[in-house]
Amino acid sequence: MRYIIVGGSAAAISAVESIRSLDHESSIDLFSDEETPLFSRVLLPYYVAEELSKPLLNFRTADFFEENKVTPHLGVKVTSLNTAAKAIRTTDGQTYAFDKLLLATGGKAIVPPIPGVDKEGISTLKTMADAERIYNMKGKRAVVIGAGSIGVEACISLTRRGIKATLLEQLGQVMPTVFDAEAAEIVQKRIEDLGIDVLTGEKALKFTGDKRVTGVVTDNRELSCDMVVLSVGVRPQTELAVQAGLKIGELKGIRVDETMMTSAKDVYAAGDVAETHDIARNAYFLNAIWPCAFEQGHFAGLNMAGRKSAYPGSYRRNSIGNFIGIPAISMGVTHAESCAMASEEDEFREIRVRTKDAYKKLVLRNGKIIGAILVGQTQKAGLMSILLKKQVNVADSIPLLMSDRLNFMDLLPILRRNADQFSEPEYKELMDTGL
Amino acid sequence: MKVLMVDKEKCTGCHQCELWCGTEIASTSKELARAINEEPHPVPRVYVEGKPFALQCRHCESAPCLDACPNGTMRRDPETGLIYVNEQTCIACWMCVMVCPFGIINPSSSMKVAIKCDRCRNMGYPICAEVCPTGALSLVERKDYRKKKF
Ligand SMILES: Cc1cc2nc3c(=O)[nH]c(=O)nc-3n(C[C@H](O)[C@H](O)[C@H](O)COP(=O)(O)OP(=O)(O)OC[C@H]3O[C@@H](n4cnc5c(N)ncnc54)[C@H](O)[C@@H]3O)c2cc1C
Repeated sequence: MRYIIVGGSAAAISAVESIRSLDHESSIDLFSDEETPLFSRVLLPYYVAEELSKPLLNFRTADFFEENKVTPHLGVKVTSLNTAAKAIRTTDGQTYAFDKLLLATGGKAIVPPIPGVDKEGISTLKTMADAERIYNMKGKRAVVIGAGSIGVEACISLTRRGIKATLLEQLGQVMPTVFDAEAAEIVQKRIEDLGIDVLTGEKALKFTGDKRVTGVVTDNRELSCDMVVLSVGVRPQTELAVQAGLKIGELKGIRVDETMMTSAKDVYAAGDVAETHDIARNAYFLNAIWPCAFEQGHFAGLNMAGRKSAYPGSYRRNSIGNFIGIPAISMGVTHAESCAMASEEDEFREIRVRTKDAYKKLVLRNGKIIGAILVGQTQKAGLMSILLKKQVNVADSIPLLMSDRLNFMDLLPILRRNADQFSEPEYKELMDTGL
Repeated sequence: MKVLMVDKEKCTGCHQCELWCGTEIASTSKELARAINEEPHPVPRVYVEGKPFALQCRHCESAPCLDACPNGTMRRDPETGLIYVNEQTCIACWMCVMVCPFGIINPSSSMKVAIKCDRCRNMGYPICAEVCPTGALSLVERKDYRKKKF
């Protein structure tokens, strides 16, 4: 068997580990057009903040390729894929044949078509090269455009380096795909407490300056600045897939089945590039987050190596970590209305509790959790995550789920009622205790 | 692999396991009288919950925390199968907390690391099982766990 992996990040490395758990001998060739191997994109803001040096960005040790008998081709881009001939062509002029191929090409940062966007001092934050560029930018004032997770983290990183940052968001709240208005308000207050100016409901219209950017014109004012970070989202990197004629979904990701296989036999896709079944939305969706990339890489790898394994589906999960002095976690959908596939019979419910320092919200569809937001008290967030993932009915346990005393052992009756869904030994063990 | 078995008939909810885990494993002084006043406050890795029942990390066969950790801080010991936090590299992103199905990972904002049970992997025997006055906690092979009668 000859395996080829395109990409060298979360989904790719996870797939390698799964392939090697079943197949120790076959050749694995891995291609990445980024030269730095094995670094975690999630840590790039820490690099910008000067809190982690380059070697500390790695999520696997430098001997990973050797240990796993992988031939890495770093700085090499795959330029074409022929699914009929089962071969790829690369920038080093070679052709490589494969039996099984994984597209783990990830996402590309969106560059919004704002006049002047090609001036110096303006950068996205996606690649190692982007992080280095931003790190090396000189100046005292920055504008970050787009208040998603990456935008917020970029602002905080720059602030920690003594740069005055302004966060600009065209929608009415920060982190609009992650939080509802109530949670966003708590988070925004914390961001502002760090000394960051937050402007919501305001759009960047133009960049000023000659060669270098000197300001951002919005619909309300002109913000002068020395640098700009663009963080308006990512888009699946599907050039190879499109050229090879693979099925692309409505959201422009590569469509995969539950074995992570694309529309072409023996060609798989995983990670930010893949459009998968979203459990919370009950529809195909793009969930461009690290845990999904890793999970999908696992399932792709197992199936590529011949063990049929069905991916249970994806769902969004975000955590704000220690950045803003209050933990905040969100998963699934943030509002009942965001379910595009809702049928008439579906019954939606939202339940909220707000105290001085904490906020908790559940979104239910037909008694099953499809979304959760926890601010302040987050240790039990994973209980919501597993109940969402397994789609079990929790309608009779709402007071428990909303309570501060929520704990796993009190959920055992729910697990036992849905025993076929909780077949992993770690659950069975505790269910057997008879509690 | 070996996992901790909890006998619900014997667990009286006395919290000895929690107290000792907090002192012996979590505190710097390793003395109860001092541990109580330590700052940051020591965080026990075992939770006496529910009816009562001493719950720790179950070292899942397919562990969501391993997939969620963005920099390889959460690791599985290849020899014992035990999952542990490599505290030096933890960036406190709480992605493991977000996915732990048992809710037993503590996001310690004061220590800026994720704290959880590693089943005392560097000690001879787990402290919680050693100190349990009723013998409710014991180590068993995972494959034998479900054969035990309760
Ligand atoms: C700054 C930042 C912060 C983030 N923070 C978080 C976070 O806190 N939590 C979270 O869950 N997620 C976070 N993410 C998202 C997370 O990093 C991604 O979901 C994850 O990296 C996706 O992994 P992947 O393997 O699918 O693709 P990617 O990481 O995008 O990697 C794809 C790789 O394939 C290469 N490639 C593409 N095409 C080719 C080709 N034709 N030939 C060769 N190589 C190719 C690319 O250059 C790239 O190196 C963050 C992302 C960024 C940028």
